[in-house]
Amino acid sequence: MMGKTRGPGTRASAVLAAAALVITGCSSSNGGQGTTNGAPDVTLVAYTGQSSDYQVNFNPYSSNIGGIGTIFEPLFYFNMLRAAPPEPRLATAYSWNSDGTQLSVTLREGVKWSDGQPFTARDVLFTLDMLSRHKEMNGIGYDGEATAPDDTHVVITFDRPSFVFGPQVLGRVYIVPEHKWKSVADPATDTVAGPVGTGPYTLAEFKPQAFTYAANPAYWGGAPAVKKVRFLALSGNQSGEQALRAGQIDWQSAPIPDVKNVEKNYPGYKALITPLNQMVLTTCSNPALGCTGPQTDPAVRHAIYYALNRTQINSLAFEGTSSEISPGFGLLGRDTAVISGALRDRIAPMRPDLAKAQQALQDAGYSKGSDGFYAKGGKPLSLTVKTVAGWADYITALSTMSQQLKEAGIRLTVEQLSWNEWTAQRQSGRFQLIMDSLNQGPAPDPYYLYSYFFGTAGTAKVGDKAGTNWSRFSDPKADEALDALTRLDPKDTAARQKYFDTIQVEAEQAMPYIPVLTQGTVTEYHDAKFTGWPTEADPYAMPAVWQAPDNAEVLKRLRPTGK
Amino acid sequence: MRYYLRKVAFYLVALWAALTLNFLIPRMMPGDPVDILLAKLQQRGGSVDPATRRAYELLLGTDTHESLLHQYLGYLGNIAQGRLGVSVSDFPAPVSSVIATSLPWTVALVGLATLLSVLLGTGLGVLVGWRRGSWLDSLVPATTVLSAVPYFWLALILVAVFGSALGWFPLLGGYDVTLTPGVNGPFLGSAVYHGVLPAITIVVSSAGSWLLGTRNMMVSTLAEDYVLTAWAKGLRKRRIMVWYAARNAVLPTVAGFAISLGFVVAGSVVTEQVFAYPGIGSKLLQAVQGNDYALMQGIFLVITVAVLGANLLVDLLYGLVDPRVRT
Repeated sequence: MMGKTRGPGTRASAVLAAAALVITGCSSSNGGQGTTNGAPDVTLVAYTGQSSDYQVNFNPYSSNIGGIGTIFEPLFYFNMLRAAPPEPRLATAYSWNSDGTQLSVTLREGVKWSDGQPFTARDVLFTLDMLSRHKEMNGIGYDGEATAPDDTHVVITFDRPSFVFGPQVLGRVYIVPEHKWKSVADPATDTVAGPVGTGPYTLAEFKPQAFTYAANPAYWGGAPAVKKVRFLALSGNQSGEQALRAGQIDWQSAPIPDVKNVEKNYPGYKALITPLNQMVLTTCSNPALGCTGPQTDPAVRHAIYYALNRTQINSLAFEGTSSEISPGFGLLGRDTAVISGALRDRIAPMRPDLAKAQQALQDAGYSKGSDGFYAKGGKPLSLTVKTVAGWADYITALSTMSQQLKEAGIRLTVEQLSWNEWTAQRQSGRFQLIMDSLNQGPAPDPYYLYSYFFGTAGTAKVGDKAGTNWSRFSDPKADEALDALTRLDPKDTAARQKYFDTIQVEAEQAMPYIPVLTQGTVTEYHDAKFTGWPTEADPYAMPAVWQAPDNAEVLKRLRPTGK
Repeated sequence: MRYYLRKVAFYLVALWAALTLNFLIPRMMPGDPVDILLAKLQQRGGSVDPATRRAYELLLGTDTHESLLHQYLGYLGNIAQGRLGVSVSDFPAPVSSVIATSLPWTVALVGLATLLSVLLGTGLGVLVGWRRGSWLDSLVPATTVLSAVPYFWLALILVAVFGSALGWFPLLGGYDVTLTPGVNGPFLGSAVYHGVLPAITIVVSSAGSWLLGTRNMMVSTLAEDYVLTAWAKGLRKRRIMVWYAARNAVLPTVAGFAISLGFVVAGSVVTEQVFAYPGIGSKLLQAVQGNDYALMQGIFLVITVAVLGANLLVDLLYGLVDPRVRT
């Protein structure tokens, strides 16, 4: 629900907001504004969208409140926004053997845990072994075997080529201190109320309404300039917007009304729009796995693809915060080099092409009835799309699409469900169309999206639960290409491109996911109080406040302006 | 004595029925907690690997295929021992501790506000009924309008005016988070300060119905013969108003108050949303959205016990106040 719900907006005038700023400025919770050693000691207040009290849990393998990246660090940081090698954190270098079964990692020297103990290869081994022993903590599916030839080297052996698994181990395993954790009876359910990590921050205090990080003075990369960071618990996006208006929070990622004029409406604040998740109409596409309905015909999917007016959807439903999408699902901007030349459209057309839509339908044997809608064999071309009640932007987008498709002779009915119901139906395939978005994997590499959403391994028969491939798409050519990619070093871009081409062409031709737009995540930040935020030109980390470990990367680079 | 035994037995049966429904209803909801957690993760840009699902299923223990009867017996056994299970949405916190941190806020805020509302509404109702036909009668339509306005709307307006525009009260939260919760002056002061505006919205929106009810009862009681007799005896006005008329007029209010006391726990969802107030209402919402059966059951249990307990108490007290019900 995060980042989607938009409550009834309270649009007070700019004057009111300014007045509130002045008043709350005197009594707000921004804490010590005093200076020490001439440097401003300002608390950064962040709001992640937490909709009720916090319960203490800083275990990086079960927490949904914090600790990842800020307290516990990974070996490398993978920036999902930039096609670049990962940045070294607790490790400084890694290399694969030629067949991808052995990963050698060189660790950083001179790192200390926040209790003063030295960090060594033993901690890395302990963490990896813990994941092997506790299946319930092993969310990344680690199945290697690790050894440490000395204190700064770790070698991980896999029983099959595991190139694509590298980012999980290198970027998603958060190293914990052996000397603290070895005595923990059940590390899976321990709440780690007094966390000891290597990260730039330590836990200063925890309250159900807020918890506060303090800069780690002994951090190996130098103590961060923002000395205190507080995460608040409010009641959702509506309250987040109020707090932003009153200047009580400095950083949040949620849609706000009139995002184009954020600098005018919220003096001192700026907004950044980050395109990452790709919005689609997921179709239950595969009759062989039990899908029924007109959308099982690729011609119908193509007709919808051509009939959409993406520019209009973007302005009516998303305030212009969305952007273009490639029908091969390479992320535009980041994956430009990977996007296949064999695609018919490198970028999905932003304007509708009704002639092409009608051609596709007529070629497939549909004919237009007197009511203006197409039909085949007496069956009208009528589809139902499911979305979640309360996702205002999606609902607006779908009503817009329903008007647009009507002009192309396709009837689209929008059905709103509760989130729980929608999630269950998406999983079991009991839908014709759903509006959804495709997420990225642990590295800036389109392979992960393809393996999640196009691989036969991620799907199931209609009625059974599919893991990620909800469209029920299953194609031997795509599976072969995915399999081949697991045996190739991601650095060998030339060899990989052939397989990426295959998958992208399949994605466009079969089109189990009808591309809509790339969704922009909107982040608002207090630019007058802190500098060093990610920008469009320099997206050094995903700027969303709830994205870990990216938020720790942002916190490390921020500096108080002293205003 | 038989009256009391009968009452207690009745409430025990009601409690059992409520516990059983409490067990069944959450299980009829679509989806399971693992799906919801994964969907949340995915929406936040996290990568959802097939391995992630397996790990969550193991972690939350939701892959058990126990029969419903087996689960039901286990549930009753656990409740009898006071064990409410582990919350999935606040994993791995036990449900009892989740409820323990949020319940006091709700009870203090909504409980006090309800009490204030009843006292204010009934007091005014007695006065308006006593002085019927005077200018005080205009209080009835005025307060009824306030009750008729949707609560969330009234609350949002009060926040916009007194919180945002005038800045008299804090916008959000239950206390200033820089203070240390506990029994200390600054914290308690801050908690009271943060509670004033939410409490005012509850009182303003609910006092009207109490006023209307009491005023109407008051008017009909004043027409009774025993009130006329009291006048004839030459008693003081005040004595007639309080001891002859009001005492009989507020009987329905007492019963109504008991029921609303029970709903104090449940009736705070909207208040807590608008004011970002810590409490059981926002936890209930979180539990429902996250298919967190254990937390839902725990909160429903608290609500059920509160409603039944309040009713039992009033039933017993009513026996004392009004001798007619005992026979």
